[in-house]
Amino acid sequence: MRNGGRARLLLVILMVTSLFLITLDLRGVKVIDGFKQGSQTIMSPFQRAGSVVLTPVKNFFSDVTHLGRTRNQIEKLEAENANLKQRLINRKNADAQLKQLKSILDLAGTAGYKVVNAKVISNGSSQSFSQTITIDSGANAGIKKNMTVLSQYGIAGVVKDVYPSSALIQLASDPSFRIGARIAGSQQIGILTSRGTRSASLQLLDNSTTVKEGDVLLSRGSIANRPYVPGVPLGYVTGVDNSAGAVAQTATVRYYTNFSTLGVVAVVVSGSTANPGDALVPVKPRVTPIPTVTVFVTPSPSPTK
Amino acid sequence: MLTRQLSIATPIFVLIYVIQEAVVSQFRLPGGGFSILMIFALTWAVLSETEVAAVIGFAAGFLMDLSQSAGGPFGQWTLIMLMAGYAISYIGYGDDNVRANATGIIFFVVVANLFVEIAYVATGALLGVSVGSFTQVLITLFGMSIWALLVSPILLPVFTRLHALVFDSRSAL
Repeated sequence: MRNGGRARLLLVILMVTSLFLITLDLRGVKVIDGFKQGSQTIMSPFQRAGSVVLTPVKNFFSDVTHLGRTRNQIEKLEAENANLKQRLINRKNADAQLKQLKSILDLAGTAGYKVVNAKVISNGSSQSFSQTITIDSGANAGIKKNMTVLSQYGIAGVVKDVYPSSALIQLASDPSFRIGARIAGSQQIGILTSRGTRSASLQLLDNSTTVKEGDVLLSRGSIANRPYVPGVPLGYVTGVDNSAGAVAQTATVRYYTNFSTLGVVAVVVSGSTANPGDALVPVKPRVTPIPTVTVFVTPSPSPTK
Repeated sequence: MLTRQLSIATPIFVLIYVIQEAVVSQFRLPGGGFSILMIFALTWAVLSETEVAAVIGFAAGFLMDLSQSAGGPFGQWTLIMLMAGYAISYIGYGDDNVRANATGIIFFVVVANLFVEIAYVATGALLGVSVGSFTQVLITLFGMSIWALLVSPILLPVFTRLHALVFDSRSAL
């Protein structure tokens, strides 16, 4: 091969450089963080612009993705006139975000959390097998590393990195996400481990306790409320593993949060002074009986002349 | 010559990186999606000599490490892409069966894309990066390969023309 020696020398130099970078990063050298911070500071305006421009396209793809599930709804919408449908599509995004924001504020208000709301400006690439989002608020808004992030239904993730005007959130669905969990009511504790999807695995710490389907999980909380504030709804138990010989019972949990539809989130910058306990357990939907109206008709006597 | 190549190639790399971070990353695509930067770098690597391919891989990997969604330590993508760039060029460069037809290049890029992701998982395991359950990893690898197979033919004409522009070759397809 032509220039084979030179190419191999170059390869060795670049490999050594790469290994040098890995070593520096694993040793926690700040220069590497500086690279990433600088890059993110430059990229966040582009991501913001991309988020604004691509929102209609994202909505379109989201509609296509959910086509099967919302067929009936789509059929109804098709019956409406084109003008109203167009207006509906334009407003849908704003309304959804407003609804999410209202629910988040209700959740945070009930627990007494002080939160900073933020819009999601980028979904992280899955090329690195991690699940992250970027929000449009950062250190300038008082956000710090290792703060709890809420969605309208409960936990969304934790702040992984903070930049001046944006922050990287590790979603609760990320495979490396772990959180101390407590079962509402029984107060049993365990560790919730994500599986890279909306489902997670709960490992109880006490082998004498049991868990059952439908049990609601809340966050147990951390020292000084970081990274996790206590009492945040996590999810509910969908399956219990009762295999004989297991040291402690394990269960499959489904997160309340739908991570693919996050538009607005809230970062808990200050937890409540008192533990909210089970106050944030989502209310189960009540079945409202439909009143039945019975009409008795008495035939009138035939009209007389 | 080198100055001219660098001065044209650098903004192209930066532009592709911006497109990846500001546009492609906006979509949470099923099956893990694709990396336009990775496909770009691998396509250029197929078309280039080994030493150029190594530099292309190094630059692309460095940019991928700069991405906020990079899960592993800084330098992991740099090392993997460097090796991938060199290897793909070593195997493919000079072989007209590969370079002379679009199908050969697409095949090379898709297979390289899969091997790069497998290498990421393997080195991630050594460096303590969590990548999820085995099933989830398999699904993601399969999904990414399908995406690469779908996207590569669309991007190939653009990337080969850019390569021809920078390296002044007649390899545009």
